[in-house]
Amino acid sequence: MEKKLQDLVDKALSRRSFLAGAGSVAAGTLVAGCSSNTPAATTPPVTTTPAPTTKPALTDADILNFALNLEYLEAEFYLRAATGTGLSATDAGPNAGAVTGGAKLTGTLTATQSNYLNEIAQNELDHVRFLRGALGAVAVSRPVIDLTFFGPLAMVAGITTDTSFNPFTTYANYLIGAFTFEDVGVTAYHGAALLLTSKANLTAGAQIHAVEAYHAASIRAQIVAIDATTTPSPGLTAIANKVSALRGTLGGGMETMLSSTTIVASDSNSIGFKRNTDQVLHIVYGGAGTAGVISKGGFFPNGLNGTITASAK
Amino acid sequence: MATQETQLLDEIIVKSRRKMISLGGAALAGLAFTSTAKAQAPALTDADYLNFALNLEYLEGQFYTLATQGKTIDQIGIGIGAGTSATGGGTVTTKGGNNYASCLVPFVNPLVKAYAMETATEEGNHVKFLRSALAAGAVAQPNLDLFNSFNGLITALGIPGLTTFDPFADDASFLLGAYIFEDVGVTAYTGAAAALTVPGNLDAAAGIQGVEAYHAGLIRTTIYGLDQNPAGNMVKSVGLVPMNGLSAVASAISVVRAKLDGTAPSATRMQADDIGIASGSNLQQVMLNGTTNVPASSITNASTTGSINLATSPSTTAGSLVFSRTAAQVLNIVYASPTGKPGGFFPNGLNGNVK
Repeated sequence: MEKKLQDLVDKALSRRSFLAGAGSVAAGTLVAGCSSNTPAATTPPVTTTPAPTTKPALTDADILNFALNLEYLEAEFYLRAATGTGLSATDAGPNAGAVTGGAKLTGTLTATQSNYLNEIAQNELDHVRFLRGALGAVAVSRPVIDLTFFGPLAMVAGITTDTSFNPFTTYANYLIGAFTFEDVGVTAYHGAALLLTSKANLTAGAQIHAVEAYHAASIRAQIVAIDATTTPSPGLTAIANKVSALRGTLGGGMETMLSSTTIVASDSNSIGFKRNTDQVLHIVYGGAGTAGVISKGGFFPNGLNGTITASAK
Repeated sequence: MATQETQLLDEIIVKSRRKMISLGGAALAGLAFTSTAKAQAPALTDADYLNFALNLEYLEGQFYTLATQGKTIDQIGIGIGAGTSATGGGTVTTKGGNNYASCLVPFVNPLVKAYAMETATEEGNHVKFLRSALAAGAVAQPNLDLFNSFNGLITALGIPGLTTFDPFADDASFLLGAYIFEDVGVTAYTGAAAALTVPGNLDAAAGIQGVEAYHAGLIRTTIYGLDQNPAGNMVKSVGLVPMNGLSAVASAISVVRAKLDGTAPSATRMQADDIGIASGSNLQQVMLNGTTNVPASSITNASTTGSINLATSPSTTAGSLVFSRTAAQVLNIVYASPTGKPGGFFPNGLNGNVK
């Protein structure tokens, strides 16, 4: 683990060079999906990227299973925080991977805080069930998940000097944990939506994408509001921004630093960010984009289940 | 123990349901007619859908810019004319006989003010982005009404004594005004996404959809949070309410939106395709991974397996997906007309081929 952390730090330092190479990574986003013949002159000035020719085309099921892995992670996080237990055997699928860490929050929550937590937990559980239902027999089971990775992550982010950070304590710590996931979920679904070929799948992906954005906004607003209305300010925003900076390092930028005047994460045109699967994998595996092919680590010690498991580079 | 406000909300819901049931046939007939008419028209292009979105962004951009600057978007340099013309767009009707300066909200809560300013910038950016993308094909801003529309909508809520509503009056009123728009924007972009044929357009639409959802989540969290902490540094003005009052009004707005778009409430989904901000004794109940209900907020406007306003519910796989609306359903809402006749926020209808 220590070796891995050191790698992370080293890679973090080379962020600049990674960002410089982000363009070519982004080229992987628009995999053969929609063949488009189109009314001319209506295309927004969005940077177009050449379709890659080397990768085998991903199916909708591949993409949805990729999303399902992320939903397993979120559901386990929130359900454990809310109730102390995670997904049922039915919801986790056959031969599901083990989950390390995660517990009912030890801090005392106000009724309002508890209501917020319960809502998100139910939403993420629903997403697991929805995707499993949609995928049917080809749904992947829950991979091995390590919820103690928040500790090393917080250390690398510069939040703590050791790996002791635990989001399953106070509501404030929980918010930082939730913050870690939600904006990533938004960018992942945005990127994934563009890969889906079935209109129905696209609509469903867009529907979940928006739910993650509702969540992300709520978490971001709560963090800012706590800082603004608590004396002395607990400085949660600054902590969240360290997470944000690390995500940007690992996942190709795509971050808007949180403040009371920037709740929404979006680009200069106020268009929400997207990440390709490589960028998402780098974040959840905790490995920078310059680390080469990375296929496991971080929250997923054995990697994701399915066909999208290793970053291209 | 039901508070006066929650009782009020219950009454509103029951009343709305009855009205919905009695009007259901007519509303559905109107929708069907609209669909038929659309089917005979030539297929809609990406540009048609983006112009549809642009109309909605004009509305949002004007609302937030007036609230935060006391000016219209064209007065701060955002074009509203057809194509690339800066001028030549429709009028904006506001209070004080179009006294735009009077629309500047006297914000008291610094966070609400900051949120309003951020949203104004972002909605303005959406107008600019879509106009840039559509270029010569961009439609002009249609005539907008930010005065009679709000009064009509608030009257439709059926809350006794509430027949006028000035969303620019104060923090709380502004939040409710914003609430009216953001969730609708999410459903509109969600519904349009699958119709787009150019990947780049889908990319942009998904990005804007996400931002609208961030806005909606922000507004709903703010309303709910302030309602739960009335002693906080938030004004509780307009005589609208004590505890849970803002949430109750927001929920009533959701009911009206669902009624306008023609979706019928069900036993487990009394607010049909639009979930209000449940609070107090009306909190939604969810089972999580157990077998008993626990209360939950409803920040996300989405289908859940939990029930709204019901103590028990059959566990269905609703999926926690945000709702999707067709263009016709969105028009019904912004026109405040179950039959899709121009009115409400767009007294002369939208510009473009979706109207």
